[in-house]
Amino acid sequence: MHARHFLSIYALQLLSALICVGLATAGLLLLDRLLPISLFPVVYLIPVVIAATRWGTGPAIVAALGGGAASDFLFFTPFYSFRMDDPQEVVDLLLFLFVALVSGHLASRLRSEKEALRKRETELQYLYEFSRRLAACFTIPDLISAIQNYLAQALGQQAAFFHAKTEANLETPPSDFVPREVEARVRSMIAKTGLPAYTIFDEATHSVWLLRAVHSEATVHGVIAVNIGSGSRAAIAARTSRVEIILEEASLTLQRLDIGKAMDDAKLQLQAQLLKDALHGMLSHELRSPLAAIQGSASVLGSASPVRADGRLHALTEAITDEVQRLDGFIQNLVNTARVTTNSVQPRLEWADPRDIVSAAVSSRSRRLAKHRIQMQFDDDLPLVNVDSTLVEESFGQLLDNAAKYSPSGSAISVGVRAGEAQVTLSVSDQGVGIARDEQGKLGQREFRSARHRETIAGSGLGFWIATTFIKANGGSIEVASHGEGKGTMASIVLPACWVDDSSLTALTYE
Amino acid sequence: MSKSANVVLVIDDEPKIRRFLRAGFELNGFSVQEAENAADGLKAATFNSPDLIVLDLDLPDIHGGEILERIRSWSNVPIIILSVEASEEQKVRLLKLGADDYVVKPFGIAELLARSESALRRYFKSSTESSVVSAGPLSVDLVTRSVLLNGDQIRLTRKEYRLVHILATHVGLVVTHDQLLKEIWSGNQRDNIQYLRILVRKLRQKIETDPNDPRLLITESGVGYRLQSRLETSPTD
Repeated sequence: MHARHFLSIYALQLLSALICVGLATAGLLLLDRLLPISLFPVVYLIPVVIAATRWGTGPAIVAALGGGAASDFLFFTPFYSFRMDDPQEVVDLLLFLFVALVSGHLASRLRSEKEALRKRETELQYLYEFSRRLAACFTIPDLISAIQNYLAQALGQQAAFFHAKTEANLETPPSDFVPREVEARVRSMIAKTGLPAYTIFDEATHSVWLLRAVHSEATVHGVIAVNIGSGSRAAIAARTSRVEIILEEASLTLQRLDIGKAMDDAKLQLQAQLLKDALHGMLSHELRSPLAAIQGSASVLGSASPVRADGRLHALTEAITDEVQRLDGFIQNLVNTARVTTNSVQPRLEWADPRDIVSAAVSSRSRRLAKHRIQMQFDDDLPLVNVDSTLVEESFGQLLDNAAKYSPSGSAISVGVRAGEAQVTLSVSDQGVGIARDEQGKLGQREFRSARHRETIAGSGLGFWIATTFIKANGGSIEVASHGEGKGTMASIVLPACWVDDSSLTALTYE
Repeated sequence: MSKSANVVLVIDDEPKIRRFLRAGFELNGFSVQEAENAADGLKAATFNSPDLIVLDLDLPDIHGGEILERIRSWSNVPIIILSVEASEEQKVRLLKLGADDYVVKPFGIAELLARSESALRRYFKSSTESSVVSAGPLSVDLVTRSVLLNGDQIRLTRKEYRLVHILATHVGLVVTHDQLLKEIWSGNQRDNIQYLRILVRKLRQKIETDPNDPRLLITESGVGYRLQSRLETSPTD
């Protein structure tokens, strides 16, 4: 179909060349009536040049031959015959044909060079447009759409991008024109990294597909499949090299994006660090200093004998102390949150007695636990744990806070330490509100608070998240179990244990 | 302490903190001097020879740690450090530099008074008082090496006694792991805190009513241990 279309266009061009000759002849005949002219053939150069510049060499030759024939038939003696008597006229005609052919050829070459120039110009325009689009790419999807856009615009070719996801899976192909064979190859390319390029000939459509990995230094982002069509080996090579250029540009852009992303990350980290420092300074000094003055003053008032003597007054000073400690706990949570978000939790590991950690946490929260009955259960034989005891103590304190907050006053909270073969479990069980099934999964999330208690119990939801992070930093984990709503909660910190050979320790401590 | 009041020098830039410290100390028989910055504090420490210094770590001109070092270069006067949120490393460093103890803000006056009295007792005891240290139901005779719990003699191993002895000479004050390890095991076990943990566990079984809920031999997480000078009756300050 393509060839027939081309032929009909060519025939039309030849016909147009002949029409030009006809028009020139008509003009000459008209001119001949008005004034006698001798150099008819020169006029016939006009249709030749027109045909050459418009339609190329073929039509130009036709125009030259037509012009020669017309001048022979109409203007050389004998008129209205192709016969030629005057040898001078024969020389003229031959000279005309020669000049016409040469100038036709020159003109058509000019034309093709101009065309090539124009084509290159548009190509450059597209490339320029492409690189402008690349420069404006800030994300990988931007880049992919720029590549696809360019290929379609400049080469008129089908192109599909297969996004390599983290699990080496493929995103659904962007369109359905990609042959199955090509798709299968793309999958294998993404599965095995380090395969740079493939060229596949698709039998069904008789076209060549280029497969190229799009990658930056660190990662393969996907594979681009381009249909570069069919044609001669040289044409395919030319198109291939153009696709390669585009992909090279794209890889450079990807590297730029990688650098950009790294810079963004660094900037974000720096901002978080600055925020942390600012928060830290502000919270510690601007908030804690007034709190220190309040609690200190309240404690002096509370110890003064007139206040001591009056129970109601003394209770007031105690209430002040309680509230100060509550506020101080909030501040501590915020400071800890800042520490966690800037990754500045660096545990100082030290051998510690899990009993010490638990009893220190309980005694530091004694005021908040005053309304509950605390039951302690420790295994007799407990190994030591190698942890940052202040972080674990803080975490256990958070669990105690939660137990006190979410269980009715007067109820029991049991605190225990159990030893397993490879781990030690520090646990807090309460008889409180429990955890509904749908809340279980969200517990470790930052700022998660159950909708059931948001209205009734104060809190930021940070505590459990902080505890989880601290324990993770110590190589342990937090487990929460509940039989459901209203059936109490048991939260446990599980830490790796180390049983030390007792005899050597006994020898060194027994003397 | 009644015949001539102990003089406490308070170095803190917060006027409101100084105000309650003054009230708290004066109500408890101390006489108080104030300094609002390091320069004034150093001057007062040199010329007024206080019996006790309460030093805030975050002063506008010189960091408290440096003041501590400077005073320690010529004086053994008891120094209690006040600070907002000090890390355990920092606490250990301050104790090593010669601080007698620290109190983290916010705090109640009772806590600071207890530490101050412990530090003063340790400072003045060596020459004047008897060789017996009592800590709640526990009394330790540093000369005869007898340890009584509620009046009954208890038997301790040599290492257990070393531990009690060091804590008793610092009764009421924190003693760092380092210090304990150094003085109990002079040999190559100095860095091994596991031995200390086990030793403490054993000692607690002998002196605590409930070893799982210690009231006498208190753990200071990440820092060391403290022998309480008296048993707390209520959690109130």
